[in-house]
Amino acid sequence: MEFDWSKDETEFRSALKDFLSSELPEGFDAFDMPEHDAKEFSKTFAVKLAERGWLTPAWPKAYGGLDQSPWQSLILSEEMVAHGEPRFGQYMCVNWVGPALILAGTDEQKEYHLKRISRGDVMWCQGFSEPGAGSDLASLRTRAIWDGKDYVINGEKIWTSYAGVADFCFLLARTDGEAHKHRGISIFLVPTDAPGLTIRNIPSLFFDGAFNQCTFENVRAPASWMLGPENGGWPIIRKLLVNERVGVARYRRAARSLERAAKIAKAEGLFDDPTVLEALGRARAACEAARVLVYRVIDERAKGRYPDLTAYVYRVATIRAERAVYEAELHIEGLAGMAEGSVAAKQFGHAVTAGVATGTLEMQLNLIARDIVGGVGA
Amino acid sequence: MDMELNETQRAIEDSCTRLFARKAGPSRARLLRAEGGFDRPLLEEMQSAGFLDLFDDAETGPLAAALVTEWASTAAALAPIGQRALIAPAAMSDIPPLVVAVGEKGRKGPVRYAAEADLLILLDGDDAQAVRKGDFVAEPVDSKFGYPMARIASAKGTALAAGSGRTARNWWRVAIAAEVAGIGRAALDLTIRYLKDRVQFDRPIASYQAIQHRLVDCHVSTDAVQWAAREAAYHRAPDELAASAAIAAEETAYRLFYEMHQLTGAIGFTREYDLHLWTMRLQTLRQEAGGINSHAHDLVHARWG
Repeated sequence: MEFDWSKDETEFRSALKDFLSSELPEGFDAFDMPEHDAKEFSKTFAVKLAERGWLTPAWPKAYGGLDQSPWQSLILSEEMVAHGEPRFGQYMCVNWVGPALILAGTDEQKEYHLKRISRGDVMWCQGFSEPGAGSDLASLRTRAIWDGKDYVINGEKIWTSYAGVADFCFLLARTDGEAHKHRGISIFLVPTDAPGLTIRNIPSLFFDGAFNQCTFENVRAPASWMLGPENGGWPIIRKLLVNERVGVARYRRAARSLERAAKIAKAEGLFDDPTVLEALGRARAACEAARVLVYRVIDERAKGRYPDLTAYVYRVATIRAERAVYEAELHIEGLAGMAEGSVAAKQFGHAVTAGVATGTLEMQLNLIARDIVGGVGA
Repeated sequence: MDMELNETQRAIEDSCTRLFARKAGPSRARLLRAEGGFDRPLLEEMQSAGFLDLFDDAETGPLAAALVTEWASTAAALAPIGQRALIAPAAMSDIPPLVVAVGEKGRKGPVRYAAEADLLILLDGDDAQAVRKGDFVAEPVDSKFGYPMARIASAKGTALAAGSGRTARNWWRVAIAAEVAGIGRAALDLTIRYLKDRVQFDRPIASYQAIQHRLVDCHVSTDAVQWAAREAAYHRAPDELAASAAIAAEETAYRLFYEMHQLTGAIGFTREYDLHLWTMRLQTLRQEAGGINSHAHDLVHARWG
């Protein structure tokens, strides 16, 4: 057991920091921007990242990556979110859409999609949740039925982030209605301009464009859009959802927000107020706890495993961090935190959505319980 | 970065497991508490096995000393192990005596193991002094909170090197975190076992989701303090990591105490059941080194000036 970064890792972080500081305006935050602007910015920015090999550095060299380790991926994620995530939604393509294609794609799919992702000119959304299938994802009912020529997709996806600006949807649909619910699911790579696909924005309490409803009405999907084997989507998803759960260094973004709040507290002379000190201390410690707990997940991945338990534990810790940071900011800003643009108001959405994004907190608790309590009957 | 024990650490863990299985454990802690004593023989065995002198050993370093502190605490060892294995070697250049107590000048209240200590390290801001046995008066106080404790009536020591108070305080925080992590793991294991066995309304209590979620929250908190303590120890207790670990320890101690006792129910209020041998210590640890106010104050000032 040791907690040192290697020389390569330290140099990588330092180079990233230098690059991001020189490229981005002070206080940049893609999540404060209108969604369309953030997407356009990310496309320009991704080209600069791609030139340095930093858009897809964890991908194998054969697919244009640098074969970097999971530790370097973590560093990339930390530094990107610490600088306002200039890749915007493209982190998804890099973290798990690309790896899913590498894992299960045909040569044609790899050739087309991996190239586009590694050029940074494409956005994806994930067609997972449905009105009747959220945390219980495998109960999804969107159907894709083979009619002898194409799969015909009908169904509804909801709460879909980035759908309004995405070029493709990574869609889960049921191709076998009779099989056990985990065994009848297939993955489709669907262009968002496919005839029959309608995308409606659902106004969000928190972020511009965050929520969308995607309605599939007789969308015709040729077999070439299917990723992996028919009815074999679930094992691919299970492996890659870990990438999603740890793909965004939320604790690092929360810590950045806390830095802003601490600056305000200091300027306003609040460092004498024990309630402010305690809230700040607790929030910082919560961010630090999430940071060290993510190391266990990365360590397992670096050793070739697909971690479950440690990833769920990390998720719970990072949700706590998001909330603790918001609470500290309320102590500092008080009613000023209710004003649009305040540090607390910006953190609010992250603090609330953290417990639902990528599977609810309660689902993570159930999964950890299965491990630490084991089988004890109903 | 590597989150798994290396060969040396694993060998230390194996030896500790064997030693604690023979010499520590809840029965031993119960006996010692009944007699009002502490485990000098265990401390002596640990010293002769080299477990108290890992801090300055180039091959093992302070992380191994923190791990031993954590594991001893899981085994309910009733001896000032963190004080001797982590705090004393960080604060002083001499080889410390066997029994070390650590207190803070100007703070009210008793000090763990003070009446038994060969050496009292007294922190005073950024400075500290070493007070040898005979140069301080410690008056034992009755306490139900897990440890032998004594109030320092007078103390006359010699100053340690400048800044050693700050160093010692940081290691004190790491030691607290390691101890809370060890206690948390043991208390949680015991409680999960109990809730899996005990049937109410025709089902094991542990099968209820409402119960499981609370156990998991305790598990996450215990993981958090365990890894915060280990990382802080590895990096030699810098201000921020040490204070963060101590805050995590406070959060975990608070959460676990109430949850473990609530979930265990009335049997957990008895001295006949083992839970208290771990959990009562949590109340003391929450207050040590100035408690949450002091940890938060130091963290904020170290980070933001």
